[in-house]
Amino acid sequence: MIEWIHPGVVICLGGFLIPLIKWRSIKLAFFLLLPIAGLAILILTSMGHFGPIPSWPESLHTWRIPFLQWSLELGRINKLSMVFAYIYVIAAFCMNIYALRVKNDWEHVAAMIYVGSALGAIFAGDLFTLFFCLEIMSWTPFFLLAFRGTKKAMGAAVRYILWHHFSGVCILAGILMHLHKTGSIEFVHMPWGWGGDYLGYNLMLLGFIVNSATTPFHSWLSDTYSEASPSGSIYMTAYTTKTAIYCLIVAFSGVELLMWMGAIQAVFALFLAVLENDGRRLCSYHIISQIGYMVAGVGIGTEMGINGAISHALCHIIYNALLYMGAGCALVVVGTAKFNELGGLYKYMPISFWLYMVGGFSISGFPLFNGFISKVMTIEAAELIRRPIIYLLLEGATVGTFLHTGLKLPWNMWLQSRDEPPPNIRAKLKDSALNTPISMLIGMGILAFLCIFMGVYPKILYDMLPFRVEYVPYTTTRVFSITQMFIFTFLGFWLLRELVRGYPTYTLDTDWFVRIAGKRMIWFCEKPVMAFANFIDRNVMNMAGFLVWFSRNPVAALGIKTEEVKLIGKRLFASSGRMDEYESALEDERRRYPGEFPRLTLGTSVFLILLSLFLYLIVYLLMVF
Amino acid sequence: MFFVSLVVSLILDVLLLGFHIVHYHFSFQYIPEFFALFGFFGCILLIFVAKGMGYFIVKDEDYYERESGSRG
Repeated sequence: MIEWIHPGVVICLGGFLIPLIKWRSIKLAFFLLLPIAGLAILILTSMGHFGPIPSWPESLHTWRIPFLQWSLELGRINKLSMVFAYIYVIAAFCMNIYALRVKNDWEHVAAMIYVGSALGAIFAGDLFTLFFCLEIMSWTPFFLLAFRGTKKAMGAAVRYILWHHFSGVCILAGILMHLHKTGSIEFVHMPWGWGGDYLGYNLMLLGFIVNSATTPFHSWLSDTYSEASPSGSIYMTAYTTKTAIYCLIVAFSGVELLMWMGAIQAVFALFLAVLENDGRRLCSYHIISQIGYMVAGVGIGTEMGINGAISHALCHIIYNALLYMGAGCALVVVGTAKFNELGGLYKYMPISFWLYMVGGFSISGFPLFNGFISKVMTIEAAELIRRPIIYLLLEGATVGTFLHTGLKLPWNMWLQSRDEPPPNIRAKLKDSALNTPISMLIGMGILAFLCIFMGVYPKILYDMLPFRVEYVPYTTTRVFSITQMFIFTFLGFWLLRELVRGYPTYTLDTDWFVRIAGKRMIWFCEKPVMAFANFIDRNVMNMAGFLVWFSRNPVAALGIKTEEVKLIGKRLFASSGRMDEYESALEDERRRYPGEFPRLTLGTSVFLILLSLFLYLIVYLLMVF
Repeated sequence: MFFVSLVVSLILDVLLLGFHIVHYHFSFQYIPEFFALFGFFGCILLIFVAKGMGYFIVKDEDYYERESGSRG
């Protein structure tokens, strides 16, 4: 048996080599090869080349590294981490194809480190390794954003890193409190409760919740993903939030709070999506909404709920990358993804449109697409634990998802009852029906194939899940109810289609509080705090100046000060002629200052020295006794 | 074509319920045409509530740029 090789390390280190390769074709081939190498390692692992994978929840432990008094564990391989790893590398492969046309090598490097560290996080068996990988994961998207180069993207990058530093600090605090309490750094299921004893766990959960963009901490996602470069944003849609879901599954499954947060989030994000004008921001709100299903599944915590959360996370990575690629196509080809500027693109980009629609049907949960087979699991988990409100929220989110991604976005972007796009957009399009770069279409094509393949043959997904699944998604009940629901959603959309048209507006989100509070904070620092600081500063400087002046000749200075006080008294009684005399005398004295120093005779000096020594002796004796 | 499918689904719903072919978990799901009503009114409600929210939260596209610009 040979030693296991960490696919994350392979992809990370391989990523660094990309800029060193001189020939462009070899460089790109190598770029595509990295996720394939990762996939090969995973397949070998599944086949038992590195030791058989024990049944869930036991795991195979490799790559242990001693660190202080603990032992870090970089390779904890079990069914849960394997299923995430598979989807991570497969998605990375499709995303790399989509990103082939990007000229900046460093964007590739950042993407590969991002993917590699995500793999590192899901294989991490201890909290330190996990934290380390999560930190790398919070930095690499910063670069993906910054490489777009616009001022807005830079601002979004800074906000991104602030949010993720906040979550990172929360997680670190949680880890340290857990360590202090239990002495163990193993990354396992954590206890849950409210209050002082559980403060560490509350903080850790908060960190994961921010990372997974759960309402009300979701706004960083829609804010930043829509500002990244078209290919950079694709990577970002997949890894950060799904890794956070993985962490929640491992550490906090069955926490009821999560169930409610998830269900509310699934619906809340849709309200904001109605008002959205930017195609990529709309898709971002759908990521948030879909994450709601996963968080709810984790919160439900039954085998069905967890399986639903995992399978939804996996399907979501695939169809959401596809959706983002579809919306990104318009951005790449005509330079905008805003609804009010688009419409009628269908004639010029029909393949992108249909590939996008596969993603749209998948995210809505149409039968025969992969969203269906995973979404119904979570919904049924809510039914099985008899939670009608959770069920209604999740089912309602399905309606809204179809309304937006299946109807609103394609209507506004590709169709909008126009045969021709607006003239300024039309000028950027070639006359052919193939305006989208081929590499992008291939990346989208593979993902679309996976969407349909998993939807038609769900067994391939279900067999990978940690808990045994004997679940049949295609029952008459479910297929019929969801189809009928969609038909009537379409009716509602058609009647109100003028209302969901795009307008050039910006919709405020929960980050308003942070951004406005931040601005108020800066104002507070600049105005009142600075004024106070200046006041203190001025007074301290005056005091110091006075002491310097005073110490030049304390005897004369004391005389001057006494004269000044006397002068105030004299002013009450003396006539003005005398006052002028006094004042000019004082002015003379000030001018002469420091003047002649008083001469000390030898005897006086010796006396003073002895006096100070005597005082020192007294102080010393007092201290000793 | 679309209206045919609307009508077919409405009739089918009654038939499936009538012949006990479908099995739900909650009693309210057995209300005839529940999913049709849910889909239709869910969609309408979503749009109108969002438009209502939009009254408060929809701003100009350069809202934040302007806000930070005014600070100087």
